[in-house]
Amino acid sequence: MGTGDKLIEITDLEKHYNFGAIKALDGVTVEVNRGDVIVVIGPSGSGKSTFLRSLNLLEEPTGGAIIFDGVDITRKKYKDADGKWVKVNMDLHRQKMGMVFQHFNLFPHMTIMDNMILAPVKVKNVPEEEARKKALELLDRVGLRDRADAYPIQLSGGQKQRIAIVRALMMEPEVMLFDEPTSALDPEMVGEVLDVMKQLAKEGMTMVVVTHEMGFAREVGNRVLFMAEGKLLEQGTPSDIFENPQHPRLREFLSKVL
Amino acid sequence: MNSFIQLENFSKLTPYTSLFLQGVVVTVMLSICTVAIGFILALILSAMRMSRVYPFAFLGLDAEGHQREKGLGVTIGKFNPLAFLATAYVEILRSTPVIVQVAVIYYGVFGALIDLPSFTFFGFIKFERFFPGVVALGMNSGAYLCEIMRSGIQSIDGGQTEAARSLGMSQYQNMRYIILPQAIKNILPAIANEFVVIIKESAITYTIGVQDIMSAVNAVRGATFIIIEPLLVATAIYFCLCFPTSKLIAYFERRMSRGDRR
Repeated sequence: MGTGDKLIEITDLEKHYNFGAIKALDGVTVEVNRGDVIVVIGPSGSGKSTFLRSLNLLEEPTGGAIIFDGVDITRKKYKDADGKWVKVNMDLHRQKMGMVFQHFNLFPHMTIMDNMILAPVKVKNVPEEEARKKALELLDRVGLRDRADAYPIQLSGGQKQRIAIVRALMMEPEVMLFDEPTSALDPEMVGEVLDVMKQLAKEGMTMVVVTHEMGFAREVGNRVLFMAEGKLLEQGTPSDIFENPQHPRLREFLSKVL
Repeated sequence: MNSFIQLENFSKLTPYTSLFLQGVVVTVMLSICTVAIGFILALILSAMRMSRVYPFAFLGLDAEGHQREKGLGVTIGKFNPLAFLATAYVEILRSTPVIVQVAVIYYGVFGALIDLPSFTFFGFIKFERFFPGVVALGMNSGAYLCEIMRSGIQSIDGGQTEAARSLGMSQYQNMRYIILPQAIKNILPAIANEFVVIIKESAITYTIGVQDIMSAVNAVRGATFIIIEPLLVATAIYFCLCFPTSKLIAYFERRMSRGDRR
């Protein structure tokens, strides 16, 4: 799965509140390679959501670096090759990172179709016809083509989350970030969302997934990160993590969730 | 024995009917103009309050371009002069009585600083009194409407902004396509209610000689020495203006929220 081709390089990432009194992220170093499916697990409050949200700067880290596309996006500006100061355009980087949220965050005042074509048309200036065609194809893939003209309120949770995933895919991102995508769903709807994610992984999409679904982590992930108290305590292949955990904190965590 | 209300006094009011009718026209005109001015002012003010203009932001960056965590530079870097001005305006206008504001605008600004042309329009509205009244009330309601708009915008779930930004939309696009369309629906009833508030509050402009309903009462009192009955007429008129308006607003509010029960 992983190709060894570096996509995101995260070094010593820190997120401190109150001048270091609270450390939501405390020196996290991870490399994300193209094609990786990285699953982040850990107890609640361990900083895994903060970590994920830092990757596209929905949270602003207070230290460390995130190199994406060769640019350290944690900086507001940087010196280019000619020694000129260049402002970091975060909107540009975010276009290449799709994000799926726990609470779907569909736009309630728009139809599903409009939800999907808004960003491509307004941000990337894709012709509307083309965007519509693409949206229908994607809706087909998740089996929701007939709901294109519905409003989000008319859909079930599982349907909303599937729409949220394809909405992010409309921007043709290089990496997809999932922030507990199944935590707000009824148990019987978890499967349909995980199926879409598995399909994506199979197609080679780079993914970083924060989840409590250990089955998904074991089956789909090629690397599992265990976080607690803002630190990355252990990382490895699913079999390393689940069959042969080293860190006592991880053992304790697994004994509770498995 | 004198009773509280004497019915025959009402018949003594009939010669002054046109005075009351003119008062109604003035009050309604005053309210419409005030809401219009207040609305535009509030748009500007709330845009200023929510702007992200940080002229000294560079003071908060270190040599590599990272945001520093603490220090005087960071504090100054977070200073937004536009937001500061707008907030100061709103807080001052909300913390002083309207009657004082009206007097300051009429006697201060238009009495000493700016000379207004003196003419009447609609045949009976004196511009040089009407205009300062509208300006003062408009400035006041602008402050309140600004807060209504700001809270309406901030009431939209933060996840909406996060979703929009994560799709690569700019702050402007997020406002334009995601936040404002949802916020306006929440704000409209409150703005309509502000209209009702202004109808009532505009009575205060009789203190600077605007000939609204309240000033008709005073004119009648001066001419006939009857007080209670014209006041009752004014009460009835204000009620007839405000009550149906607020009922109408409530009706539209219910209709608008029919679609989005969550």
